[in-house]
Amino acid sequence: MQTLQKQRLTGIGLALPVLIVLVVVFGIPLVQLFLTSLNAPMFSVSNYLRFLQDPANVRVVLQTVQISVIATAACLIVGYPTAYLIVAAPKRLRIVLIVLVMIPYLTSGLARTYAWIMILGDSGLINNLLLQFGIISSPLLLIYNRMALYVGMVHIMLPMMVLSLVSVMLGIDKSLMAAARSMGAPPFTAFCRVFFPLSIPGVRSATLLVFVICLGFYIIPASLGGLGDVMLSNFLASQVTTTFDLVSVATGSFVLLAIAIVVLSILGLDLSGTQGLAAQVPRRSRFARPSLIGWLTRSLTEFSTGFRAKRWTAHRYRPRGEGWLPEIGGKVLVLLVLTYLLAPSVVVIVMSFSSGSYIEFPPSGLSLRWYRSFFGNTAWYGAAWTSMEIGLAVALLSTIVGTLAAYGLSRTSPRLRSTLNVVILTPITIPVIVVGVACYFGLANLGLIGSRTGVILAQSIGAISYVVVIVSATLANFDRRLEQAAQSMRAGPLQTFARVTLPLIRPGIIGGAFLAFIHSFDEVVITSLVSGFSVTTLPLKMWENIRNAIDPTLAAVASLLTVLPMLWLIGMCVVWQRSESKAQFPIPSAAN
Amino acid sequence: MDQSPINAQIEFRTVTKLYGQIAAVRDMSLTVERGEFLTILGPSGSGKTTVLMLLAGFVAPSRGDILISGKSVAAVPAYRRDQGIVFQSYALFPHLTVRRNLEFPLEMRGMKVAERAQRVGLILERVHLQDFGDRFPSQLSGGQQQRVALARALIADPPILLLDEPLGALDRNLREEMQGEIKSLHKEFGKTTVCVTHDQEEALTLSDRIVVMRAGQIEQTDTPETLYDRPATQFVANFLGEANILENLDYVVESDSAQPTGTVPMIRPERLGIANTATPKSADGDRRQYVAGIVDDMIYAGPLRKYHVRVGGGVLVVREHVASGQQIFKPGDKVRLDWLRSDLRFVTA
Ligand SMILES: Nc1ncnc2c1ncn2[C@@H]1O[C@H](COP(=O)(O)OP(=O)(O)OP(=O)(O)O)[C@@H](O)[C@H]1O
Ligand SMILES: [Mg+2]
Repeated sequence: MQTLQKQRLTGIGLALPVLIVLVVVFGIPLVQLFLTSLNAPMFSVSNYLRFLQDPANVRVVLQTVQISVIATAACLIVGYPTAYLIVAAPKRLRIVLIVLVMIPYLTSGLARTYAWIMILGDSGLINNLLLQFGIISSPLLLIYNRMALYVGMVHIMLPMMVLSLVSVMLGIDKSLMAAARSMGAPPFTAFCRVFFPLSIPGVRSATLLVFVICLGFYIIPASLGGLGDVMLSNFLASQVTTTFDLVSVATGSFVLLAIAIVVLSILGLDLSGTQGLAAQVPRRSRFARPSLIGWLTRSLTEFSTGFRAKRWTAHRYRPRGEGWLPEIGGKVLVLLVLTYLLAPSVVVIVMSFSSGSYIEFPPSGLSLRWYRSFFGNTAWYGAAWTSMEIGLAVALLSTIVGTLAAYGLSRTSPRLRSTLNVVILTPITIPVIVVGVACYFGLANLGLIGSRTGVILAQSIGAISYVVVIVSATLANFDRRLEQAAQSMRAGPLQTFARVTLPLIRPGIIGGAFLAFIHSFDEVVITSLVSGFSVTTLPLKMWENIRNAIDPTLAAVASLLTVLPMLWLIGMCVVWQRSESKAQFPIPSAAN
Repeated sequence: MDQSPINAQIEFRTVTKLYGQIAAVRDMSLTVERGEFLTILGPSGSGKTTVLMLLAGFVAPSRGDILISGKSVAAVPAYRRDQGIVFQSYALFPHLTVRRNLEFPLEMRGMKVAERAQRVGLILERVHLQDFGDRFPSQLSGGQQQRVALARALIADPPILLLDEPLGALDRNLREEMQGEIKSLHKEFGKTTVCVTHDQEEALTLSDRIVVMRAGQIEQTDTPETLYDRPATQFVANFLGEANILENLDYVVESDSAQPTGTVPMIRPERLGIANTATPKSADGDRRQYVAGIVDDMIYAGPLRKYHVRVGGGVLVVREHVASGQQIFKPGDKVRLDWLRSDLRFVTA
């Protein structure tokens, strides 16, 4: 009893650093904002009434919900069949397809937004081509409207949707489909009666997650949408940076948060379920265990692990296309989706080698001038350097405290663990602008606005969540008896951790660090609020460029940011393969 | 290291382990003598693993005390108790080779590299794995992994060896082979061994003594033979082998001797004889009881034949070794069962 209690106390102790950072940077200001919005200490809802009496505000709120619903629906309609086809593909192809979807997911959102500007703009790719072939005489209005907004949003969110759904579907035992077929169900009936119902819980969580993230969209509406296509985030950000009406910022934030929470709780994003893998769900009951960590860990393992027995059955019974029509249709769909996801980046990369003084497609000549311009301009490479430093700091900080927390949580009681998990994951489950606003006030409390430390802290809030999610998932699959075995052989707690636990959860830690870095390296919304114009990261510099004068150097930057995740991915693969192969298929070596 | 005793005595003093309101182990008192092989046997959920975890120090008793060689270990954390443990499904470190796995306990005890290598070499030879030292656990068969686990538990020469369902993951043939291996290792190393299992055959073959547990409490502790031959309770009789309970039948069970234990008459299936009603009674007929019945079912099981015979309102199981010249009965045949009155046991309900 005493040992157990001591263990639980240590567990909470290990999670303490994370909780302190969260509470100070994010929790306290959130409460302060809430009190402000309620006119504390008088407590009234007058601010909310006033907010909702202004038709302009109501329009923005409704519009935000409408845009998010449509974008999410589009992601689901395109994503579900795509995910199904990816899961049904033979193993090798499946891995390739997953990687191809992962590349855009990991690519800077700004670079991808920029790509769409380059494609849809007045002198963008489409208009240029149409003009060149004489199909039109003056540029079409393809950008700065609702359609462009949807194209951009779906482009950003689709990879997440597909990857979530793939992870859900990979978890469904395919022999069930085979069983249904053996009982005389035709393929489509088997799908409708067995596969589809089993996928529903996961689909629901993935959809909700996408929806909530859509609610917080800021960059796409500001850069691809029309003047009228303002979403709540844009509204709030402009309030923070211009009028600075504290009450209305607080009220607006909580209206947005309320929408997110109401939707999440009505439609039942079972947070403990989503994070179930991290919490306590054993491998076997993973049918339709949804989302976030699910797909992260699973898809990473999917393409890093060579061959696993448990996949074997799934592989043998994988659904086979019936007839040529669905088969060809499926191939076309996957091809179209991949083109939609990847082509913009390809276009940007090609354009970045343009020799003209403005960016065009196809480039009239090839040159490296924009790369030279990037590396020759202190403002640009300085920003890149700042981002790199901040990214590394964020990755280091959040990996250390996040890993400690995940390890600590794994030794607390399941109930406490899932509660704390919900708390720790809040920053990546609520609209990002709310996190940004809260961090702004949190850092203002600490006098850290406009400092690097401030930016690092603010970015770590989300990064920690990623680390905790991934390390927890790895720990959930970690056999605790190995620790007991080590202890029975006289290894103390620290030795046990260093010699047994750490080496075995290292892939998770590296994955977490990697996501933390990426998160920081692409962060705009929170950073722009807390940087106070004195810390210029690469995303901020890019964002400034996208909004004001588009410097062609941006094409070079965007290309670099597109190639980067591929390098990451390759690097990760190597690391993973190593650590996996060490345990699974070691090459017999004499030296050790 | 070398002056540490090769084995130790274990004593449980009214140990209780509560999980919330549920007592996983209740008021357990037990002594395991030096060098003894003791098996804890019981159905699922009876608290076997909990006992082992209490002993290993991964779980602390809610009440009572555990003593090893006369000293309380209440304050000793798991990593300071000198015990070799073979975990269910082995818990071999997947990221270390067999050799490194075996070195681990030695390293933790601060042993020099050269001595480590020598010990690992010796024990690998002992468990017939000298060619497998550089493999990873995932590259070994189940039986080989089991041997590595045993070697790892023994290599640092701990005075106590704990086995948690050591053969649960192996198939039948391998299990028999490994039973032999465990037995010979026990003979050779002389460790005080506590083994947990729910496999009665394993328990009967390996142990010096067996503890039968039921719902967190000890039902009976005895040598395998006594336990099988003279079970104290109906639960033990049923759990260890098959038992015919001769209760609520509409004939009188004649008893010979005053039985010390219980009131419920019980007889093992192999103690029953089955014969044609016309067969003359045997010479010791006056020491036997005879009852008539009708064959309900016949089950052929290799060297054995099992009959279910309907007798006086109940069904008795008869187990007969297959031999040539035997009469084989079919369902519906009228038969006569008989048993020596001295083979009857009386157990508590
Ligand atoms: N950590 C725990 N929390 C709560 N209850 C527990 C815990 N561990 C065990 N129990 C309960 O204690 C009782 C005994 O469990 P134990 O694992 O010792 O059984 P066992 O005899 O080893 O069973 P099996 O043969 O199935 O392994 C069970 O009712 C179990 O539910
Ligand atoms: Mg058990």
